[in-house]
Amino acid sequence: MADPLGLAAPAQTPALEAHTLRRSFGDITAVDDVDLQVEQGEIHALVGLNGAGKTTLMRLLLGMVRPDSGSATVHGREVSRCGPADWARVGHLIETPFAYPELTVTENIVAAARLHGLDRDAAVGAAGATVAALALTPWAHRRARVLSLGNRQRLGLACALAHRPSVLVLDEPTNALDPRGVLVVRRAMRAAADDGAGVLVSSHHLDEVARVANRITVMHRGVVIGHLDPGGVDLERRFFDMVYEAEPELPEEVL
Amino acid sequence: MRTALAVEWLKLRRSTVVKVATAILALLLPLLAAGFMAAYIGGGDSLLAAKVRTMVHEATWTAYLDLMAQLLSVGALLAVGVVVCWVFGREYSDGTIGSLYALPVSRAQIAWAKSLLVLGWGLATSVLGALMALPLGLAVGLDAPTGVGEIVRAAALPVAIAVLTTLLALPLALVASVGRGYLAGIGALLGIVMATQIVTLVGAGGWFPWATPSLWAGMGGAELAATVTPVQLALPVVVGALGAWATAWWWQRAEVV
Repeated sequence: MADPLGLAAPAQTPALEAHTLRRSFGDITAVDDVDLQVEQGEIHALVGLNGAGKTTLMRLLLGMVRPDSGSATVHGREVSRCGPADWARVGHLIETPFAYPELTVTENIVAAARLHGLDRDAAVGAAGATVAALALTPWAHRRARVLSLGNRQRLGLACALAHRPSVLVLDEPTNALDPRGVLVVRRAMRAAADDGAGVLVSSHHLDEVARVANRITVMHRGVVIGHLDPGGVDLERRFFDMVYEAEPELPEEVL
Repeated sequence: MRTALAVEWLKLRRSTVVKVATAILALLLPLLAAGFMAAYIGGGDSLLAAKVRTMVHEATWTAYLDLMAQLLSVGALLAVGVVVCWVFGREYSDGTIGSLYALPVSRAQIAWAKSLLVLGWGLATSVLGALMALPLGLAVGLDAPTGVGEIVRAAALPVAIAVLTTLLALPLALVASVGRGYLAGIGALLGIVMATQIVTLVGAGGWFPWATPSLWAGMGGAELAATVTPVQLALPVVVGALGAWATAWWWQRAEVV
């Protein structure tokens, strides 16, 4: 309904937004005219098969790669124009975690927090709290080189979270974790969103996504092919139906 | 910039590669120079003594530290080159380069911090090497120096050679970055060592920046060393500055692929 007097609450600027975003690598279009919004305080999940374009989309939103066309914004500001104050509010874990093997777990988190704009004292305090929140206390003073893959992944998440970002981008943050680790990460994401952060997370685990996400977007071959209701039933069947509909020639056995 | 320096300094001082390179430059090379000097002083007709007599002609502090400068002109390029390749290539090799994007600290600042720290480390290590050389020189039987001035003058050459060589290693940072891993840089380092040999053989060493420090240190003899001009000695500074600047430019603009 029109609001000529402007009495309605002002629309919140999305934490992250992609508008007709497109990027090709050679003859492969990794992301093809993608529109996506991540609102503040929500967990928005990206699901899709390998090669669907999830990681490239995240990289575009973080300025790691430049778009061929379209735009990506963080808190309403074009990524290419984002300055230190904008990036200080962003945390991310894309593929390999921030985990320098020669540094201890705590030193890694302090280093990440400082690079995200905290001063030394604040970074030390933030590291202590994040170590506890992600159940890394037994390894706090161990070198990262001795960590298991799962603990290294949790360390990467701690490095993304320590400075309490208002935008969080996580690429398959639970893929190396045991069930307890998955729970810890799920709680950490939920806590960040409850604090008002916009969280974009990709995952292969549909049931896990259903437990934590407010919205689920499905990508296939660089294109957004639809959305799933996190509260719906038989998410897996509906996901595969969507993929098959987008690519009918895909052999049934591939699915 | 202070944050980038603090984080990179932490990584540098914990790095095994840097520890090994420091031991080579500050301990092994002075030990080698002292060993050669001991062989010269001891005389005799061993193969080592005969070889040393072609490099050293008197048992003085100047001759001893000149010898160390010659060893440094080759050894430092290899040791510092490996450190540069490691420092700039590790995030690409480990796949953690993405962690350095979307930060309030720019990647250009991080790259400049790496270059400045490598340069500072090269200077500190060469001074440490010169200091280590003093007790070793006394131990192999050199006369006690006549004064501090004699030692400072003699030690200036190896320190200057090590600093020039550190500057010459900085362009490897760009190769390790563009090649997305330290092995690309190591390959370029080997290429530089081979090219230096060839260029020196054909007599154009003075104008090839990577050969200048060796020639100045006397690797080609005292006569050739005397022909090295201040302009030629300034070339490594230009090469180092250009290398550091180009690397920072690349770091700021490169995509994660």
